[in-house]
Amino acid sequence: MKAQGFALMEGADAAALEAIVGKRNVIFHDEERLEPFSHDETAERSYASMPEAVVRPASTAEVSKVMAYASSRRIPVTPRGAGSGLSGGCVPAMGGIVLSLDRMNAILDIDLENLMVVAQPGVVTNSINEALKKHGLWFAGYPMSLETCFLGGNVAENAGGGKAVKYGVTSRYVTGLEVVLASGEVLRLGGKLRKDVTGYDLVHLLVGSEGTLAVITEITLSLMPVPRRKAVLLASFAGAAEAIGAVPRIIREARIVPTSVEYMDRASILASCGYLNESIPYGEAGAMLLLEVEGEGNDEVFANYSAIGGVCEAAGAQSVYVADNRTTMERIWNVRRNIAEALKVRSPRQSLEDVVVPTAAIPAFMEGLLSLAAEEGVQIPCYGHAGDGNLHATVIKPGQWSEEEWARRLHHILERLYRLSNSLGGRISGEHGIGNKRRDFIGINLDPATIALMKGIKAVFDPQAILNPGKIFPE
Amino acid sequence: MKIAVLVKQVPETDSLTLDPETGTVVRSEDSSIVNPLDLYALEAALRIKDADPETSILALSMGPPQAETALREALAMGCDEAVLVTGREFGGSDTWATSRALSAALSKLGGFDLILCGEKATDGDTGQVGPEVAAFLDLPVLTYVGSLSLSSSRKEAQAQRIVEDGSQVLRCRLPMVMSFCKAIGEPRLPLLSGKRRAKAAQLRSFGLADLGLTAEETGAKGSPTKVVKVDRPRLSREATFMDARTEEGMDKACDALIALMLEKGLIVPSAAVAGATAARTQP
Repeated sequence: MKAQGFALMEGADAAALEAIVGKRNVIFHDEERLEPFSHDETAERSYASMPEAVVRPASTAEVSKVMAYASSRRIPVTPRGAGSGLSGGCVPAMGGIVLSLDRMNAILDIDLENLMVVAQPGVVTNSINEALKKHGLWFAGYPMSLETCFLGGNVAENAGGGKAVKYGVTSRYVTGLEVVLASGEVLRLGGKLRKDVTGYDLVHLLVGSEGTLAVITEITLSLMPVPRRKAVLLASFAGAAEAIGAVPRIIREARIVPTSVEYMDRASILASCGYLNESIPYGEAGAMLLLEVEGEGNDEVFANYSAIGGVCEAAGAQSVYVADNRTTMERIWNVRRNIAEALKVRSPRQSLEDVVVPTAAIPAFMEGLLSLAAEEGVQIPCYGHAGDGNLHATVIKPGQWSEEEWARRLHHILERLYRLSNSLGGRISGEHGIGNKRRDFIGINLDPATIALMKGIKAVFDPQAILNPGKIFPE
Repeated sequence: MKIAVLVKQVPETDSLTLDPETGTVVRSEDSSIVNPLDLYALEAALRIKDADPETSILALSMGPPQAETALREALAMGCDEAVLVTGREFGGSDTWATSRALSAALSKLGGFDLILCGEKATDGDTGQVGPEVAAFLDLPVLTYVGSLSLSSSRKEAQAQRIVEDGSQVLRCRLPMVMSFCKAIGEPRLPLLSGKRRAKAAQLRSFGLADLGLTAEETGAKGSPTKVVKVDRPRLSREATFMDARTEEGMDKACDALIALMLEKGLIVPSAAVAGATAARTQP
């Protein structure tokens, strides 16, 4: 018996699962093929954990049967999308089955009358937008990894991204779900509805539940029209305070909500430009803002970026560059999108963080972060979504620290980082999730009564606690 | 010093669609940009101006009125002036007719020390306009320039050409025409102040009469090249899977693979190779 009384899987279990999904869709007793399912994109492998089996269902009916079987045997089940998560959400922390939803990858319905799309969880997020392109529509949830991540993972983690300041996060667009409970029971919640107050809002309880309450097997999303024209501004500032200080002024004074307000500190820009061999003009900038605006036509876009750029200049921007065609826009976005990868290539041992603070508290947070890094003797480059206060501070392991020292001191640094964000009214994660990476720290944000209530909800959905155990809540 | 940069407005490659009937590019205002390779010529000109603020740069284009967008981007990047050669009569021009019209405009404007252009346009892909302009103006031309420095007198230039098997360094007297490749340096992004200036700028435009050309010398009539037919290549991919998990399967798979490669002409039979080798070794 393993932790929490879970059953160890045996040959008979694999055979039973093969009977449900077919022999070739079960991986069992094959370390080499199981290993890729032991981790996600979280850099530190200390959060990884091997599954006992990987099961790849092709339909809701198969998911239901797998869950019923796992329930009967009390085997843990961890749903998995593309494995591009950053909190260990799809890592089988207690072993058992990884339920890989990659075969359930169909866009089931593009409903142009209701402006909704119905898709399975294994669909690559960007392929939804590719399919919608000719209709002038898109799914406005915009995770930065949209070319690799799966919709199911976006929903399970309630992914945010670079357009949240205007368009909000994934949950805003999820209007209906089909889910399979731990028992195997299939529920259909919500629908193609933009309003629905019939009973508790279970749809939005499940969005962001990190695979701990149910397995998502079908998603209904509401769609938005694609903006006709866009432009991107790249504004450089002396430092974080100046850059961040411009953000509320942009909305207040220009009275325009940009689609994106991305923040990059100098270390992040240098890393990404070096990685891409790109030469955007960062000059003496201590920090930069990437601002995207939309408009109906060229004149409206010009008016919008001119107004926003004007506020940046008034707020002390050293220079404001404009990209208003796809080539130059892509050049600038590419720098922002590749920061995480560039930092990872440069310093593979790191902890990519995801704190979120009220936007007005960003300068105070940045100040605290600088002194924290100096006091702890580490580099913490920081970039992220300035428009919504979601900052990806990335703690880099100093070369001279031993593994043991890194493990010990990282825990302490993270605790300080999280407490800093908490003291400013923030949270330890804005869009990446808690998973097993941050579960020991959730008490910094949530009081015992809140955690108890959440655990109570979990027990109602999953009384045997077989769904994605070892996540969100500390031991 | 006076520099002219030739720019072309082209469709963005990711939004490029071909008319299935005529096989020509469907051009829409929404998705047009400065030919990406012309940006390197602009960058080369702007670097000269960075070093010597007395330099003036004129951007010149020929195209429909929408080509103004490309010229305004050139102005936003830092060009001082822009001229558009436009008119129905120019429609259907090949590179020769285009070069004739651009040369006429350059002669009319006069006094350029350098006439710079990109390596080629991403839509037509010919790379002919630069050298043809040089021919019309009877100026020397250097293509594929990767770096450039000017003498203090501004009468001479030293240019490095990037050629297939290395590079050439040449010293030459101005005025002349040059086309640039990417090695010249990453093109700059326009500043907001540049965008504002470009938006407000007045563009000059030249028509047929302004250039002193006749209708026979330009457009389809003045073009020796005729596009007879345009075909889109059909992309086909085939895959054959061979089972090579057993010894026997492996042998069969190898035989089948060899037969297939022979059939496709990817390899030649060993007898033929032996013959060829023998033929080569004979004195």
